[in-house]
Amino acid sequence: MMRAIYFFLILMLAIVVPQAQAINLGETLKDVVKSTATNSTETSNTAVKSESKKAFNWKNPSREEEIQIGREIAGNLLGASALVKDDALQKYVNQVGRWVANQSERADLPWHFGVIESEDINAFAAPGGYVVITKGLYRKLENEAQLAAVLSHEIAHVVRSHHLKILQKSQLLDMGAGLLGKQVGKDNQVIRKVIGSGAEICARSLDKSAEFEADRMGVVLTTRAGYEPYGLPEVLQTIGQTGKDESSVALLFKTHPHPDDRLVKLDEAIGNRLDKIKDGKILGNRFYKLKN
Amino acid sequence: MKKYKILLLLSAALFLPLVSLAAETGSALKADVIRAEPYADAKKTGAVARGEKLQIIGKKNAWLNVKTAKVSGWVRLLSVKRGTAGGGNQVKGVLDVASGRAGTGKVVATTGVRGLSEEDLKNAKFNEAEVKKMESYTQTSKQAQQFAKNGGLKAVKFDYLPAEQKGGEK
Repeated sequence: MMRAIYFFLILMLAIVVPQAQAINLGETLKDVVKSTATNSTETSNTAVKSESKKAFNWKNPSREEEIQIGREIAGNLLGASALVKDDALQKYVNQVGRWVANQSERADLPWHFGVIESEDINAFAAPGGYVVITKGLYRKLENEAQLAAVLSHEIAHVVRSHHLKILQKSQLLDMGAGLLGKQVGKDNQVIRKVIGSGAEICARSLDKSAEFEADRMGVVLTTRAGYEPYGLPEVLQTIGQTGKDESSVALLFKTHPHPDDRLVKLDEAIGNRLDKIKDGKILGNRFYKLKN
Repeated sequence: MKKYKILLLLSAALFLPLVSLAAETGSALKADVIRAEPYADAKKTGAVARGEKLQIIGKKNAWLNVKTAKVSGWVRLLSVKRGTAGGGNQVKGVLDVASGRAGTGKVVATTGVRGLSEEDLKNAKFNEAEVKKMESYTQTSKQAQQFAKNGGLKAVKFDYLPAEQKGGEK
C-alpha cells in the first residue's frame, strides 16, 4: 500500500517537476535543489553519458572526484597563503591529523594536513581530506590534544561532506537553470566553474548546525584517538577571549557561531557522557613548538 | 654567591605556581551546581548563577575546581567560560609578553599583514607547487598508528554524540 503511494508520488514529481523548475528558480533555493536532485540529474546524467563517458558525477561523486574537487580548493587556498616552511612542523601536523582521521568513517581517504603562513586565527577543510590550519591558530594551541581537537573539527566537515554539499547545491542549481547542462571541456574547468573564484568557498559560512555537528564529532574523534576530550572546548575558550574587533578573528567570527554559543551547545550534547573517560592524554611535551 | 642563586631559584619555584593559580578567572556560562568532589554524585556544596565570576584553581577530567565569593568546590568544566567577561585575559597577556610569546603574533595581527580576508581568498590563484608540497607530508594509516603508539595513545571506543534535543528529555 505504502509502496503504491510512494510510486504515485514519485510519478507525480517526475511529471510536475520539470515544468516547476523554471518557475521555482526565483523562489526558494532549496526546492529547486531538491527537485533537480531527485530528477533532472538522472536525465542529464544519461544524456551526458551518451556524449562523453567521463562526465563529472556531481550528484554522487566518486572518491577520486571528491579528492579532485578538494585538491582544487586546497590549491587555491595555498595560493592565498603558502605553507609554513618547516618540514618538521608539517610532518607533525600530518601525524596527529592522520591518527585522528583514522578514527573516522573516512580512514580510506589520503588525508593531507598543512599549516599556512597566516596570522589569522582559522582552519579550513576541503573535500577529499585536505585540512589546513593557520599559524595564528597553531600559536594559540598549548598541547597535542588541542591540535587534535582543531583538526578533528575539520575532519568532521570532510566526513559529513559539509562543503561538498554546498557545491552540489550550486552545481545542481546551475543545471536547473540550464547553465551547465552540457559538458564544459575538461573536468577541472567544470570544477573551477562550480567552486567559484579562488578559495571563495573557504570564506562561505556553513549552516550553524553543521558547525555544531563538527564540534560534537570533533570531541568524539579526539576522545577516540586517546586524547583528553576537552581540547576543543579549551580552544574555543581561548578564541572566545580574543576581542571581536581583532582582524585576526574577523573571518572566523563571521563564518562560525560565537565560541560561547558553541560551548553551550557542546555542553548540552555532552552532559555526563564523558565522565567515564579518564586517561586521555594531553601530550604537552610532544607538542611541536613553532620556530617563530 | 651560590647560596644566593639557590635562594633565587627556590623563590622562583615557589612564586611561579602561585602566579598561574591566581591567573585563571572565569565566569559561569550557565547556572550549575558546585560539588565537594569532581563527581556527578558528589555532595552539593553550593551553586553558581549564570554570569557569576569565579576563580579557577584546578582541573580534573570533566571538572574544574573553582572558588566563588561564597563557596569553593567542583563544577562541570563546560559550565565555565575562562577569562574575564569583557575581553582579554590581562594576566595571561603579561605572561605572554614576559615569555616572548606575544611579540610577532600581535604586531602582525594589528597591522593586518599576512591576514586571510575574504578578498584574499577570492583572488587566490591555484598553486600547484604548494599542493604537491602539502601532499608530500602525507602519512599513511600505519605510520600514524606508530606515532600514536610512541605517544602512548590508545584508541578508545566512543559513540558519536547525538544532537541536542530541543524541548528537553527525549
